[in-house]
Amino acid sequence: MIDAAPTSLAPLLAVSLSDAALGHFQATAAVLFCLGLVGFVTRRNLIVMFLCTEMMFQGVAISLIAFSAYHGNVTGQTFVIFVLTIAAAEAALALGLVVMLFRRRRTLDAEAWAQLHD
Amino acid sequence: MQTTLTNPLAIYLAVLAGAFGLWCLMPKPRHHRPLLGGLFAAGALGIAWLVMYETLDFADLGLSVTAFVYYYVFSAIAIGSAIMVIIATKPVHSALWFVMVVLASAGLFLVLSAEFMAFAMVIIYAGAILVTYMFVIMLAASAGGPNDPGEDEVFDVQAREPGAAVFAGLLMLAVLLTLSFDASNRPNPLAASPPDREVIAEILPNRTADVVRGRIEAEIARLDPTASPVIAQADPDRLSNVEKVGLDLFQSHPLGIELAGIVLLVALIGAVVIAKTRVEDHPEPRPSGAAHPAGHDAPETQGLS
Repeated sequence: MIDAAPTSLAPLLAVSLSDAALGHFQATAAVLFCLGLVGFVTRRNLIVMFLCTEMMFQGVAISLIAFSAYHGNVTGQTFVIFVLTIAAAEAALALGLVVMLFRRRRTLDAEAWAQLHD
Repeated sequence: MQTTLTNPLAIYLAVLAGAFGLWCLMPKPRHHRPLLGGLFAAGALGIAWLVMYETLDFADLGLSVTAFVYYYVFSAIAIGSAIMVIIATKPVHSALWFVMVVLASAGLFLVLSAEFMAFAMVIIYAGAILVTYMFVIMLAASAGGPNDPGEDEVFDVQAREPGAAVFAGLLMLAVLLTLSFDASNRPNPLAASPPDREVIAEILPNRTADVVRGRIEAEIARLDPTASPVIAQADPDRLSNVEKVGLDLFQSHPLGIELAGIVLLVALIGAVVIAKTRVEDHPEPRPSGAAHPAGHDAPETQGLS
C-alpha cells in the first residue's frame, strides 16, 4: 500500500516547468515588476512609492521561483529568502525615514523634497 | 514543441492597449476614465494570454493542467490588484490591495510547489511588512485635503507624468516579454542537482527511506490506516520543499546567512537611530499649495515616541 501510493502522487509533486509554462510565469512577473515601476514613477505619495518597490520585489520573487522550478533545484527559492531579508530591512529603514520626513514638512508629498539643498 | 510566438506583433499590440488602459486609469484631473481604462487593461491581458496560449503544449507542461488553471486565476488576481495599488487615491487602499498581490503571488508559488516560500511570503509580507506600513500610514496621517479633512490629498489624486511613465514602463514590459519567450527557445539545461535519494543517503542518515517507512508503518499500525490517507501517501524517497530549501540554504550559502543577519542588525540599529533623532520642525508653508492649519510646530512633533 505504501509503495503503491507515491506513483499516483509523483506527477503532482515533480515540477520541472516546460519552456512555455516558464514563459507564462515570467510574463506575470514582468507585468508585476513594470506596474511597480510605473507606480513608483507616477505616484507622489512617499508611502505608496515604497509600496510600489515592494511590488517590484514580488515580481522578482515570482521570476526567481519560476526559474527554480524550471531548473529543478531550489537555489532560486533560497535567493528569495535573501530578497525577503533585504526587503524587510529596507521597509524598516525606509518607513522610519518617511516618518522623519513627514515630521519635517508635515506632508507626504515627494515634491516637497524636490530641492535637496535644505 | 513550439515555444516562440508566431505573432509577436499581437503581443506588442496587447501591451500598447494595456498602456492606454493604465493611462486612462491613472488618477489625474483630466482624461480620467476608469471604466474605459479597466476594459482596455482587462482586454490587453486577455489578448496577451490568448497569444501566449498557442505556445503551450499540455502534454508536456511540467505541471498538471489543473495547476496551470490556477496560474491564470492567481495571475489575474495579482495583476488586477497591482493595478489597484497604483491607482488607488488613498494610501490605506493601496496597502490593502498590496495584501491581495502578496496573497495571489503566494498562490503562484504554491502552483510552482514552493510551499515554504508561499507561507514565508504571507507571514513576512502580508503579516509583518504590511502591518509596519499600516502603522506608518496612521502615524503620518495628514490633515486631508485643503477644505475637507476626509478629502484625498492633492498629491494623491494628481499622478506625476502619467503618460511618460506608462510609456516607459510598458516599453520595458514589451522587451521583457520578448526576451522571456525568445530566451526560452533553448534546451533546458536541466539542473545537475542530484536525485533526492542520493542527498538523503549522504547527509540525512536519520531520514533514509527505510527509517521513514518504518516510522510511517508504526504510525499506521497505531492509527487506522483507512482513516488517514495523508500518512499512507507520504513518499519516503522524496524530500519535502522545506527540507530542500533548508539544505540548500545551510549547505551552499552559510556565509549568506551570516551576512543577512548583519544586514538585519544594521537595519535594526539604523531604525533605532532614525527613531531617536530629534527633528526640528520647519513651519514652512506646504509647497503643494494646500494650506495646512497654522501652529503645527507644537512640541509634540519632536522625537518619535
